[in-house]
Amino acid sequence: MRGWLVFGLLMFSLPLFLSTGTLRIFVMANFLAIFAMSWDALSGRTGYISFGHPFLIGIAGYTTAMLTYHLGVPLYLSIPAAVVVTMIGGTLFFLPALRIRGTYFALVTLAFMEIMYHLTQVIAPKVTGGTRGLSGLPEMVSGAIPNYYLTCSVMLLIGIGLWLLIRTGLGTALSAIGVDEEAVKSSGLNTNRIKLFIFTISAMIAGIGGALYVHYLGSIAPRALFDINFLFSILVAALVGGAGTIVGPIMGAYFLTFLLEYLRPYIPGAGRFVLYGVITLVVYYFAPKGLYSIFSSLRQRLSGKAGTG
Amino acid sequence: MAQVIIQGFLLSGLYALIAVGFTMIFSVGRVLNLAYGVYIMLGGYVYYVAVQILSLPKFPSFLLAGLAGIVFGVLTYLVLVKRFEKDPIAVEISTLILAVVMQAVIVLIFSTAPRSMWPLIPGRFEVFGVSILKNILFATAVSWVVLGSLMVFIHKTHIGRAIRAVSMDAKGAAVSGIDPQRINLVTWALSGVLGAIAGVFFATYTQLDPGMWVFPLITAVAVVIVGGIGSIIGSLIAAHIIGFMEVATTTWISADLRGVFTMALIIVVLVVAPKGLLGKAEL
Repeated sequence: MRGWLVFGLLMFSLPLFLSTGTLRIFVMANFLAIFAMSWDALSGRTGYISFGHPFLIGIAGYTTAMLTYHLGVPLYLSIPAAVVVTMIGGTLFFLPALRIRGTYFALVTLAFMEIMYHLTQVIAPKVTGGTRGLSGLPEMVSGAIPNYYLTCSVMLLIGIGLWLLIRTGLGTALSAIGVDEEAVKSSGLNTNRIKLFIFTISAMIAGIGGALYVHYLGSIAPRALFDINFLFSILVAALVGGAGTIVGPIMGAYFLTFLLEYLRPYIPGAGRFVLYGVITLVVYYFAPKGLYSIFSSLRQRLSGKAGTG
Repeated sequence: MAQVIIQGFLLSGLYALIAVGFTMIFSVGRVLNLAYGVYIMLGGYVYYVAVQILSLPKFPSFLLAGLAGIVFGVLTYLVLVKRFEKDPIAVEISTLILAVVMQAVIVLIFSTAPRSMWPLIPGRFEVFGVSILKNILFATAVSWVVLGSLMVFIHKTHIGRAIRAVSMDAKGAAVSGIDPQRINLVTWALSGVLGAIAGVFFATYTQLDPGMWVFPLITAVAVVIVGGIGSIIGSLIAAHIIGFMEVATTTWISADLRGVFTMALIIVVLVVAPKGLLGKAEL
């Protein structure tokens, strides 16, 4: 908990030192951290790898975008509505998880994402904005500093909430499901209830993040959300940071976002994305457990005792 | 009706070719190669550079595209997949990262602008009032020849039998003196060349662009899931189900909806019968 307090204080004092341009980068990193934590809650421990998180984020984004754009619903109603719709979407995810896991589950969730990509363009394009999407959506707060504080608080609250949740028996149960689900069942735990719970939590986080994200961007389009490159960012942030650790995905999200930004002055144009991808691949290649594991083993060595996680 | 039947057969042949290289990897190595779409993209771009920029003749360019697929397939295995062999999820993630890196490389070299490929054989003709591009007929014919040779290779040659043995039981095969590493290498090379050849045809069907690896990958996933992961015959049947379904949807309902039905089919099959039509996880 002390770690979170220090981290929180540090984050809240940053606007005193940084330019608004840098803060905008932090805002994007905070969003990616929220998405990566949502992925981590569902997939980090359980072995139910989600390739469909853009599906959850996207339905949240589209729900609030359509409510505000067409009906003029105020944000304090449309965002909660979006979160509820996303949680219902999360239970859709849960149904296949009753029967299949691992690779097969990943592919079903990928199919969910692809279906939404097509449907948003075809079914009622007047409502969804079709291929071009909707733009001119209302902002939650305006300016770099308020947006920074907003995303930062949400990210910290989600992080601390998940961290507390995982420290209960639930975290152990989720890890146990990842190792051997049958054994967990035979020890008398109802794994389906545990899965349904964590799927709903994950969907809720994705819903909060997704709804805030489209109001920050002010626009929404199928290719921006239901996209394999967006999925790539979320997955890689969680994995490069360290899956199953909650703190790791935050580190991963910051690492990736700032890596891409700091390469900008040195390598113009498309070369930046090549180097970004290669660095990501190299990090994953040598540390598949993520940056968090490197830091915690360093800390253990320095302090000479077991880390507190 | 004639339109749907003829176009359905033509498209399905290509889909079968796209899927078969993907299913072989799963069958032998029990991993999903999410970089498979890259072999398709690479085949298309190498052929494009050879024919339309370097003005090489078509046949050597075709071979060059296949060679690029072999090299890249073998490299994927040696560099990435071998490291994560015990962890299928790590293979999926690392091959996905590789695919995104290669997409960036293509953007770097060719920019994001789509490029159109010249047909392998120009012109068209009519059968039963259906206009058919000669290029597409040729692509389907070659697909069938390649698939037929692959079946002969798998069933009649020593190394093909070894591939099947590993796909049925890797440990058992190793005990009876088959070097699994060598079989893996051969399979990845085969997968690379099949992907690259499919890529040349696929690019003439559509166009070249840096995002073109996604659609064939998802189609391959769909075919392989519906047919049963690891079954070549199952993949052939599923490629026809999906090919015909797409053509029928395009003709009778709307071209925009064809992907929706394919994806819905994947979900239904995976939830109802996760092993697919003929899935027994061996070739």
